[in-house]
Amino acid sequence: MNGPIKKILVYVDGTEGSITAAQYAVVLSRAVRAELSALYVINTRALDDLLKARIFIKAEEEEYKQDLEADAGRYLNHVRSLARKKGLAIEAVSVSGSVRQEIKSYVQAHDIDLLIIGELSHVRSRRDEFYNEAERAMRSVSCSVLIVKDEDQVWELYDALT
Amino acid sequence: MALVDLIRPEVVKVPLVSTTKPELIRELVEVLRDAGKISDVDLVYDALMKRESLGSTGLEQGIAVPHAKTPAVNSLTVALGISPKGIDFQAIDGELSKLFFLLVAPPGQSGPHIEALADIARITKSQAFCRTLASATTPAEVVELFTED
Repeated sequence: MNGPIKKILVYVDGTEGSITAAQYAVVLSRAVRAELSALYVINTRALDDLLKARIFIKAEEEEYKQDLEADAGRYLNHVRSLARKKGLAIEAVSVSGSVRQEIKSYVQAHDIDLLIIGELSHVRSRRDEFYNEAERAMRSVSCSVLIVKDEDQVWELYDALT
Repeated sequence: MALVDLIRPEVVKVPLVSTTKPELIRELVEVLRDAGKISDVDLVYDALMKRESLGSTGLEQGIAVPHAKTPAVNSLTVALGISPKGIDFQAIDGELSKLFFLLVAPPGQSGPHIEALADIARITKSQAFCRTLASATTPAEVVELFTED
């Protein structure tokens, strides 16, 4: 761990893009001998917003929160498995709150050198409201950010890792 | 996937012809069927009506967001409809609803579902955008409003 990248964080949100990002993070962590962490954020901020906007009723908010907690466990277990198959230790963590704020806080608290995220949406509106959470996090963290593209190539890299 | 990626001309209906909540929900569900997004209209319709029975998704300023989880879809699916005359959707402000964002998602994909609903909650804060959207007369115009640079 003498290189410029000592601690890598991959943001996992359950999308295919984020799983590809996790595969790439495993490959890169092995290559540069960096510590790897994976973070899933249970977006309770969005749940609160939906309750305030009255799109959700209280019972619905609770139901969706439980769904998100189950998603967190499932996706982080998958990422643990991706790392374990390649002999890599990984710290897989779920937290609750605002996605952007929780990623930013984790990066600061754990001295992360590099944040890895999945590919961003192709279509963009001029309206600020359409920024997705990963994009907002990318803009606010203090460390460098790597956006993973080309699922096929990443799979080949991951598959070739012995 | 962001809300803007899901709004395509084939899932937009302008104008809606329904005059009641059940008719409107069925009309938008049929839009999804005609777009090839769903096959079982009744299953999706029942899920949406069950959610409405717990409390109307009619919000303020003419916006309604009927939504539900159902195994009848494989991924988050959205339909958007505009009723220029408005429909009594039992909105919280008592006004007629004109803009309808209908979302259905499969169980186990709550993350994208919540993000799309949060997108809607954010954009509906802009009265100017909602007014412009409500005055759109074609699906292409609606899509352009969401994607223009």
